[in-house]
Amino acid sequence: MQKKRAYSFPDEVLEHVFSFIQSGKDRNAVSMVCKSWYEIERWCRRKVFIGNCYAVSPKMVIKRFPEVRSIELKGKPHFADFNLVPDGWGGYVLPWIVEMAGAYPWLEEIRLKRMVVTDESLELIAKSFKNFKVLVLFSCEGFSTDGLAAIAAGCKNLRELDLRESEVDDLSGHWLTHFPETCTSLVSLNISCLGSDEVSFSALERLVGRCPNLRSLRLNRAVSLDKIANILCLAPQLVDFGTGNYTTELQPDVLSNLTAAFSSCKELKSLSGFWDVVPAYLPALYPVCSRLTSLNLSYATIHSPEIIKLVSHCPSLQRLLVLDYIEDSGLEALASSCKDLQELRVFPSDPFGVEPNVSLTEKGLVSVSLGCPKLQSVLYFCRQMTNAALVTIAQNCPNFTRFRLCIIEPKTADYLTREPLDVGFGAIVEHCKDLRRLSLSGLLTDRVFEYIGTYAKKLEMLSVAFAGDSDLGLHHVLSGCESLRKLEIRDCPFGDKAILANAAKLETMRSLWMSSCTVSFGACKLLGQKMHRLNVEVIDETEPPCSRPESCPVDKLYVYRSISGPRSDMPPFVWTMDEEGTILH
Amino acid sequence: MPNMEFELGLALPTPNIIKGFDLNNLGLDQPKDMGGLEARNKAARCFSDKSKRSFEQAFGNSEEEYKTKTLLLWSGQPNEEDDHKDQKKRTFSTIDENDAEEVDQVVGWPPIKTWRKKIFQQQHRVGRIGNNRVADTDSGRSIYVKVKMEGVAITRKVDIRLYHSYQTLTNSLITLFARDKKCADDDYTRYILTYLDKEGDWLIAGDIPWQSFIRSVQRLKIIQKICTFWS
Repeated sequence: MQKKRAYSFPDEVLEHVFSFIQSGKDRNAVSMVCKSWYEIERWCRRKVFIGNCYAVSPKMVIKRFPEVRSIELKGKPHFADFNLVPDGWGGYVLPWIVEMAGAYPWLEEIRLKRMVVTDESLELIAKSFKNFKVLVLFSCEGFSTDGLAAIAAGCKNLRELDLRESEVDDLSGHWLTHFPETCTSLVSLNISCLGSDEVSFSALERLVGRCPNLRSLRLNRAVSLDKIANILCLAPQLVDFGTGNYTTELQPDVLSNLTAAFSSCKELKSLSGFWDVVPAYLPALYPVCSRLTSLNLSYATIHSPEIIKLVSHCPSLQRLLVLDYIEDSGLEALASSCKDLQELRVFPSDPFGVEPNVSLTEKGLVSVSLGCPKLQSVLYFCRQMTNAALVTIAQNCPNFTRFRLCIIEPKTADYLTREPLDVGFGAIVEHCKDLRRLSLSGLLTDRVFEYIGTYAKKLEMLSVAFAGDSDLGLHHVLSGCESLRKLEIRDCPFGDKAILANAAKLETMRSLWMSSCTVSFGACKLLGQKMHRLNVEVIDETEPPCSRPESCPVDKLYVYRSISGPRSDMPPFVWTMDEEGTILH
Repeated sequence: MPNMEFELGLALPTPNIIKGFDLNNLGLDQPKDMGGLEARNKAARCFSDKSKRSFEQAFGNSEEEYKTKTLLLWSGQPNEEDDHKDQKKRTFSTIDENDAEEVDQVVGWPPIKTWRKKIFQQQHRVGRIGNNRVADTDSGRSIYVKVKMEGVAITRKVDIRLYHSYQTLTNSLITLFARDKKCADDDYTRYILTYLDKEGDWLIAGDIPWQSFIRSVQRLKIIQKICTFWS
């Protein structure tokens, strides 16, 4: 007897159903149900996220997903942010643009993070995609304002141009004039990273004036305070605004004009910028403070009293980025004013100073953990910590999803008990069951890794520096953390054994970075030889690893899973081990 | 290197089944507990030294060797130990008096993004106004001076370009340091503001015009005024 199929929807119906499924994870799950679902799904996938541009080749992506409209790519490993990845390592976007130019004429969105983007790539984007709408270049480099001019001129329907934290060769502020007068589609423009050269301010004003849908505008440092009032009056519909330099010569009208301009922005929820703040002008912000959900003061060198005054006007604040000038007293004030706070980042004002220059200690973070029940995400730089404080914080904030603590001097012990901070971080992972991201610091033994391996079951990303005693530490993490995707380690006594014993685990992760550890060249070779779906890259700028005995530790190791084999664009200081045991270069 | 025997697992690697992928030497004395679930359970069960010792037993004396070394030895050959020890004495910091380039002894630590570091470096060119003036023509450039208050451990830095008079500067300093001093009275006339000028003399602030002051000041110090009934 012929079994009837449980369902027999036509493909179009299934496609319609799938169109409601946006998340990449869910779509991947859908595509694994059966062959016909795989086929239907791949034809209607519009958005692709590739967490490591070397994990798959452009041709493979295009072959599987022929109708993509939006792509997100990430290149260099995270530690590239701290100069640990040498220049020229890789992460070039051009090969992707070249392939997509042919295959995806209707591509609308490109989002890149830590990739090398050239003017040539930008020109190709401007030429190839007729309906291009969104370009986000997050921490990218390699391009100049010439490339931006090409984008401005060529993309008639551009909605978003976001250059956050990218390094741009600022040749001329006149690239802004390349936006045609007919361009009125801009919704988001972030040029905060551009150098302090002249930005063509009149072109900027005209552009802002003719884009009625502009919701997010982040200016760069070159724009001084007296110009801001004009901009705000042209765009009172802004939701997110980044000031330029918050300073100007003291003039009588500036404050009143500025206050009036801010008052007219009824939708403003997010503020950033604030280079060189003159405290006298901060009251201009008061009209918008009650609605503010996000405030980035992390370049503002204002001191605690001024920060407290500002922050106490912001009861709706959900996100605060600030320098440690806020001090413990400021954090106490924050804890009592901002009950909706979800994310706090405190950056060091003098990271290389020997003596502390501010009174910011573990007490500030404890206050916030006590006063802000919704706190989920923390990045905190400080100079001292105790296990007791960490335990208290963990108990106060079981909802943490991201916890990054950086005690500035490596291997700093609990300053009261002189013990390692194992127990403190152990409490964090034990109480915060939804923790996805963790960065450790201070004096730590293998014990902290035991705790992490035992409790941190949802942990996806772990950053470790100057910690641990032996391979057992690394073994705990690799064998215990079921959800681990990214692991980055520097200056820890971790060698071959834990990696080789957990080789299979590495295929379940996106990547592993280890620098200044004790992984031998021989182990790297073995790993590359036996694990065919891993790319094992050894990075050494001083000399080839094979010129030394195999038992010598490698300087830097980057292991990542890939289905496209070793890459072909390696610079001279990167070696990869392939299946035959040969070392590619 | 001895035999590289190993087992090839047939299943797709999942976090739970990593037994077959232990690429360590599988000699007869190789304990099974490095290979997978057993090791995890062992680690999870107890945090006592027992499991640690068995691990050490399994991998022999080399572990002992590692434990006695300091961290910096890990980054190089054993005979580079002495060099690294010396390097370590200099902390991850600059020498304060020197307003020359920042000396980063350890690459990438503390973990702060490059562009943020550039901003810090601009902000912490301390006090040498002459150099600052030579370096740029931008009148908006910050001038940071150290401020110390008698009896307070923390030395702060303020950008005096943000203030336009002695009064605004003094008010801000009072608010800043008031908490640290825990003054029972806030009668600030008991403290006076002094400054180190270009010639290296400590003078009382307030005598010269503000513009001249900011061109000359190198450091600030708040000292207690000695109360005399007849002054």
